[in-house]
Amino acid sequence: MPSIILRDIKKSYGEVVAADDLDLEVENGEYLCLLGPTGAGKTTALRIIAGLTKPDSGQVFLDGRDVTDLEPEERNAVLLSQRYSLFPTMTVAENILFGPSIRKVPELDSRKTLVELLDLVRLTKRADSYPRELSGGMQQRNALARALATNPDVLLLDEPLRALDARLRIDLRHELRSLAKALGLTVIHVTHDQEEAMVMADRIAVIRNGHIVQIGTPREVFDDPVSPFVANFVGQSNFFVGNILCSRDGRMTTVEDDKGHVVFARSSEIPVDSKAVVAIKVGNTRVVKRSDAFVMGTVERTLFEGRVVHLDVNAGELGRFSVKLPASRRDQVAVGDEVGLNWDIPKASVFPYPEGGLEEELRVD
Amino acid sequence: MKRMDWVVDFISRKGFRKGWTVFIIAFFLFFVVIPTLYVVTYAFTDWSAIETTVLSKPETMSVIVNAVAASFEIAAIVTVIDFLAGLPVAWILVRKEFRGKEFLDTLIDMPLAVPTAALGFSAAVFWVMNPDPVPFSFSVISSPFFLIILLHIVFSYPYMVRSLAAILEEIDDTYEVAGRTLGASRLTAARTITLPLFRAGLATGVILCFSRSMSETGGTMIALSTMANLGIGEAANFFTGSTLIGEWRSLVENDPTYAPSLAFVSILLIALALILLIILKLVIMKFHLPLRKVWPMQEKMLSRGIFPKMKDGGALLFLALIVLIPSFFIFTYVLFSDPASLDMGALSYALGYSFLVAGVVTVIDIALGIPFALYITKHRDRASSNVLDVLVNVPLIVPTAALGYSLFLFWGSTGLTGGASFVVLTLAHVAFTYPLVVRNVAGAVEEIDPSFEETARTLGAKPIQSFHRVLYPLIKSSILAGAIMAFTRSLGETGATQAVLGSNALTAPVYIVSLVKADELYQAGLACIILIIVSYIFMLVLRYLTKKRKEAI
Repeated sequence: MPSIILRDIKKSYGEVVAADDLDLEVENGEYLCLLGPTGAGKTTALRIIAGLTKPDSGQVFLDGRDVTDLEPEERNAVLLSQRYSLFPTMTVAENILFGPSIRKVPELDSRKTLVELLDLVRLTKRADSYPRELSGGMQQRNALARALATNPDVLLLDEPLRALDARLRIDLRHELRSLAKALGLTVIHVTHDQEEAMVMADRIAVIRNGHIVQIGTPREVFDDPVSPFVANFVGQSNFFVGNILCSRDGRMTTVEDDKGHVVFARSSEIPVDSKAVVAIKVGNTRVVKRSDAFVMGTVERTLFEGRVVHLDVNAGELGRFSVKLPASRRDQVAVGDEVGLNWDIPKASVFPYPEGGLEEELRVD
Repeated sequence: MKRMDWVVDFISRKGFRKGWTVFIIAFFLFFVVIPTLYVVTYAFTDWSAIETTVLSKPETMSVIVNAVAASFEIAAIVTVIDFLAGLPVAWILVRKEFRGKEFLDTLIDMPLAVPTAALGFSAAVFWVMNPDPVPFSFSVISSPFFLIILLHIVFSYPYMVRSLAAILEEIDDTYEVAGRTLGASRLTAARTITLPLFRAGLATGVILCFSRSMSETGGTMIALSTMANLGIGEAANFFTGSTLIGEWRSLVENDPTYAPSLAFVSILLIALALILLIILKLVIMKFHLPLRKVWPMQEKMLSRGIFPKMKDGGALLFLALIVLIPSFFIFTYVLFSDPASLDMGALSYALGYSFLVAGVVTVIDIALGIPFALYITKHRDRASSNVLDVLVNVPLIVPTAALGYSLFLFWGSTGLTGGASFVVLTLAHVAFTYPLVVRNVAGAVEEIDPSFEETARTLGAKPIQSFHRVLYPLIKSSILAGAIMAFTRSLGETGATQAVLGSNALTAPVYIVSLVKADELYQAGLACIILIIVSYIFMLVLRYLTKKRKEAI
């Protein structure tokens, strides 16, 4: 039985719609990343599950129990907020013991829990420090230990790594996931960082305007996006707009723009002659010689990013394409060079042209 | 332990919480707001009486108009002076680091610890022109109008400095630093960048000072009586709106024909105070000070050398000479006067009564004010809570004498005033001290990130537990500040007390007023000193107790 179910949740604040027919199912023991741009309704979804925000309509189930009308303290779903909210008047140990003491756990048991958790999050030596004396990483671990001390069914993480240094953030990804897995927790982890979601999640739910637009394994979401938005938000894409020339089943789709440029993408069901968008992940776009190229362009800018070189290629009327080259090929391309671009045809997705226009579709604010 | 759990469970029930909220709001409406404004109904029920005994009598009207006009003029002048003299001191307190800063910080609040009755006496003997002056006194003032201005500055000045300092604390000085790295002189940067951000603090300061000056009764009455006793007869016929209410309230007991006039002055003061509050809020928030223009050379010159020192020196001199010395001059007065015997029995009874009232009032304020503050801060999205938020300011700006008379009419109409004078007095004092606790607590709660309590809730805490364990430790000092303010305000209040109970009131400030009126100045001075010392010790003990507990955390 799924551990968390959201059914037809609606919530709006005046004009702003934070949840619009939000449906979500999270399996028992699953690590789910809720990924979306700022203002997409991620935090609202989390707060509704925790019971801190009342939905306008719809239902919330935890472990098959309808908890829609229950108070936060009756749900056993612990929220870890962005800034951790460690209680400033309590020490590390007192923070961890907050949950057990509220539940009147016997002294002996809670002592045992405390020792175990302090050891788990490596804060044994700092048990009597106050939160303000801890580094960002330690605070994060303290907050995590405090959440775990209540023995929750569900852990709700609101951008748990956001306030940390870039390096530490990457180190903690693995740590956080393996801890959750070792303890068999059901986790919803909210983030706007697609890389973080790709690395950590069992499944990713992409949310936009209060609605889940796609849910699937990181691979599915990355390789088979359901819309240009998902294609661009998860892994950044290059786009080509044109009309379907032919879309024979099982092989490939040919798309031609009004200037006569032709590109190829995977097969699709879109009828011939309708307007369409081809999306090619930046990482799947290759620099090739002229004879193999689908698109030709001039290198406009190169950015050496350390492990890769980022190229902005101006393809004239087709717009701008982004390409990543391994650092080892850094010296082979220079600004002003003419280069050819292509991709593996099955890796290019094709979508019907979005109603509000492509720019509107890709907006992330 | 078991019984405790049952209590926690019980008060966490939805039904109980809803009922409690209704009770808190009902208390506020029926015991604070409605009694405060009850006198206004007089205009509807007995307008004909007001017409025949007040409006149609030019001599009565002229007394009323003069008194109310004097109140406004004094309040306006006091507020302007407070701002000009208070701004440099607020600046020094927030932006400068020096030895003795904490000392200065405490000095500013000293006049607040002195009951206004004592302040009025102290300032009068210091300033009033006197053929036989007390040693070291100034003895230069012969106009009651100026004396009251000087007196009101003493107890409104700390409010202005505190409001300005509070907002200055909030304003990041990096703005000013940025301005200065862009080439502005110190004065230019402060004037064009920081000052415009000041408006909120200025609005609070102006409203506090203005309403404090408008509503003060006891100190003003004592200062005027003292002045009259020192030989300036003019003072006996000088009234502010509040002292006029006090005077007529004492006459109405024997001569009921004063009732309509009394009601009319009260209504007039309440209406004007409310209108003024609205205007001030609108004007200060909308008005753009013409601050853009810059005079680089002149301002650069004024930013250097002797000028800043003169400004700071002048402001500190003002603080010492106009605010602090007059506050405590009473000690000198008593030292240099011929001793006379004081009826210690009557005084200690009055002191005991005052402390009892103030204590009970403070407990009620805290018990019912904190939940109310929590309600208005946690339901910001509801219109009702914003209305309540505005209403809670009403008793603060309504002159306490008018408020007291209103309460007298309200509780009189319920038949309570006769026997239960202690209960009525307590309720009256609750009405004007309650907002002090609510304001302090609401201000503090608004500063606290709501995610602390939310996290506590998801960790399994019931609302009462999350308040007790998480929020309360964070706002404790503001609760204490509110409690001290409420306690000292109740202890020092004269106008409302007299207006509610007439001359039967037995509180310490009223006792001091009666001593001054009987021309027993030495005894009055001694009584003031005892009141000051007792309340000071009380505050020290409170601070000490809470500080100790803070360290224990």
